[in-house]
Amino acid sequence: MLLALLLCYAGFTALCLSTDRHHGELLHSKPTPRRRLGLRVSGWLLLPGSIWPAVAVAGWSQGLVEWCAVLMLSALLLVLLLPYRPRLALGLAGAGLLACPVAAFVTL
Amino acid sequence: MKSKTTLPVSYRLAVTSRVLAAVVGGYLMASLAAVCLALWLPTSRADAVVTGMMSSFVFYLLAVLWCFACRTAWRAWFGVMLPTAAFATLAGVGLWMART
Amino acid sequence: MKEGFRQAMAWLHTWAGLIFGWLLFAIFLTGTLAYFKDETTHWMQPEVQAHPLDDARSLTVAQAYLQQHAPDAARWFITLPNSRDPGLSVMWQDKLDPGKRGNFVQKVVDPVSGEAVQARDSKGGEFFYRFHFQLQMPYPWGRWLSTLAAMVMFVALITGIITHKKIFKDFFTFRPRKGQRSWLDGHNAVGVLVLPFHLMITYSSLVIFMSMVMPAPIMASYGDDSRAFFSELFPATDNAPALGQPAPLQSLVPMYTQARAHWAGGQVGRLAVNNPGDVNASVNIFRSGSDRVAQDFGSVVSFNGATGELLRVGGGQSLPTLVSGTFYGLHIGHFAGPMLRWLYFICGLAGTAMIGTGLVMWLGKRQLKHARTGVMPFELRLVETLNIASMSGLLLAIGAFFWANRLLPASFAERSDREVQAFFIAWGLSLLHAALRRGRQGWVEQLSCAALLFAAVPLLNALTTDQHLGVSLARGDWAMAGFDLTCLGSGAFLAWAAWKMQHRTAPQPKAERAHRLNLKQEAH
Repeated sequence: MLLALLLCYAGFTALCLSTDRHHGELLHSKPTPRRRLGLRVSGWLLLPGSIWPAVAVAGWSQGLVEWCAVLMLSALLLVLLLPYRPRLALGLAGAGLLACPVAAFVTL
Repeated sequence: MKSKTTLPVSYRLAVTSRVLAAVVGGYLMASLAAVCLALWLPTSRADAVVTGMMSSFVFYLLAVLWCFACRTAWRAWFGVMLPTAAFATLAGVGLWMART
Repeated sequence: MKEGFRQAMAWLHTWAGLIFGWLLFAIFLTGTLAYFKDETTHWMQPEVQAHPLDDARSLTVAQAYLQQHAPDAARWFITLPNSRDPGLSVMWQDKLDPGKRGNFVQKVVDPVSGEAVQARDSKGGEFFYRFHFQLQMPYPWGRWLSTLAAMVMFVALITGIITHKKIFKDFFTFRPRKGQRSWLDGHNAVGVLVLPFHLMITYSSLVIFMSMVMPAPIMASYGDDSRAFFSELFPATDNAPALGQPAPLQSLVPMYTQARAHWAGGQVGRLAVNNPGDVNASVNIFRSGSDRVAQDFGSVVSFNGATGELLRVGGGQSLPTLVSGTFYGLHIGHFAGPMLRWLYFICGLAGTAMIGTGLVMWLGKRQLKHARTGVMPFELRLVETLNIASMSGLLLAIGAFFWANRLLPASFAERSDREVQAFFIAWGLSLLHAALRRGRQGWVEQLSCAALLFAAVPLLNALTTDQHLGVSLARGDWAMAGFDLTCLGSGAFLAWAAWKMQHRTAPQPKAERAHRLNLKQEAH
């Protein structure tokens, strides 16, 4: 569940950064079209991609339910962190991505 | 809106009529739609009933949305009663075929 | 009616949400608490000791107890202890004329000593669970009303989605400290981000009661014989009647082992013994709902109780029953482990928050118009009173329920009813208080009071039992410790909310820090 959570959170952060408004708020610049595309693609790859670790650990039925729960929770967490601790929100996504191999090693 | 005291009586009556159409008419339509599914689905009898009951709430929802989206209260009743009549006919045919 | 489809849907969303909002808030909050039903019961009945799980021993003990205390019952039910609920619960139904339902008697038995546990009489978490769909009303009115509320919730959700057109553009947007704007952002955020849960929980509640609220298809297909429908769907309910010739009941343990072998090691939820002590005794072993997401009521292994012979192995769902079973299983979440259970809890809180913010917004928008004159029309005053009583009042009532559990003497007659009375008295008093006090003062006072009640729960527990946080944490009793800690956290959150409410007019930089604290609370 942890790996799925990290991937979902990173995915949502990438999607969030791919919008002009949030990119401006968080990084104080407008994203270049290439970067916007890159962020959007990686976000949309990470979100469905996180199904795999959830299902691999818990099986299809339970895994999908856990994935849905983690999906909702990570989005909620990101949205509630953004206005108060934008740096932390970004940092968490980065740290989460870095911790992915560890989480994969522990859970899979 | 309701909180203003200047609302004419006709408006209040129209809203009441729509609410009745949505709650009562919608339930009638949803029930009959479920009966149609239960009678006409080519699965086992219990499965058809379960499917009918389970999907009836979507019909109910659509009826409620229609009742408040359309232009007048009359149309609300008309829009609910027309499919109700159609479902009732279908259900009647289904019941008649089951009897004979 | 307003022109335009979206305006019409917004109108419907507003008014349906207002009229059923108070009831839905109570249903959502108590339903959310019901996810920790067993843990709450454990806290409210600290006398029930947890033992290492041993199903064979529990089963032998239960059978011996029932044999001794209820040999002539029409039916026995045995629920085995599990990791969440340490109590071995036995229940029996008295023999009465056919057609009439006999009384049920329930006892919690110690799975080691075999004696009935002398626990304080309390409904525990069962109270919240029952309340969230029966609303403390006589059967079947509460169920009808809560299902009606679920249908309104379904309509409100769909109209909400239609109304909120920028659902993906505003996906990540939450702007705090901007008054009405923030409430709307918050309402949309908890609504949209947790939307799959909201839709699931609402539609599944309709599916759970579908045979009650939508009986037309059953009547059309089965005529007057609705029992035929249920026995076709759940063959295990179709049991042979008693013959009246006595015969000793075989040991249940071999049947238990055999049933588990049929499920490849799946857990047993409960056992039902029909006509114990008769030649025609039958034993139905039901599979536990915690095994799989989809609930399968047909997953039953039946034996002849007098001979031990295998009668029937139920199971294997068709697609429609699988879908309805999945809805059922998802709603009650028996399969959820500790992590997922907390996520369920957070999702439930998000749903509660969505309803609460909606109610606050309805009033806030309309109050603005009367802000200058300072005179509020009666309807707005009424809504305000109901808002306060339904939200902070309900929290107060829940706190009072927990306090009553610890303060009422254990030997009190009809003690569990008194606890429930304490709940409703506190709720009624909060309504009275809300009617008497002006808006913000009412909120602040009730929230502070609720904060005090919740934050002091660990202290109260330490003073009245020997299971305080030091003991429960050291022993690894996470249900007991978690309950105390959650109450403490809720108390802190409510205190923050009261503080925030008090200082709402002038947003200062200090408020930021407190807000952050709250987010941690919410995430816990």
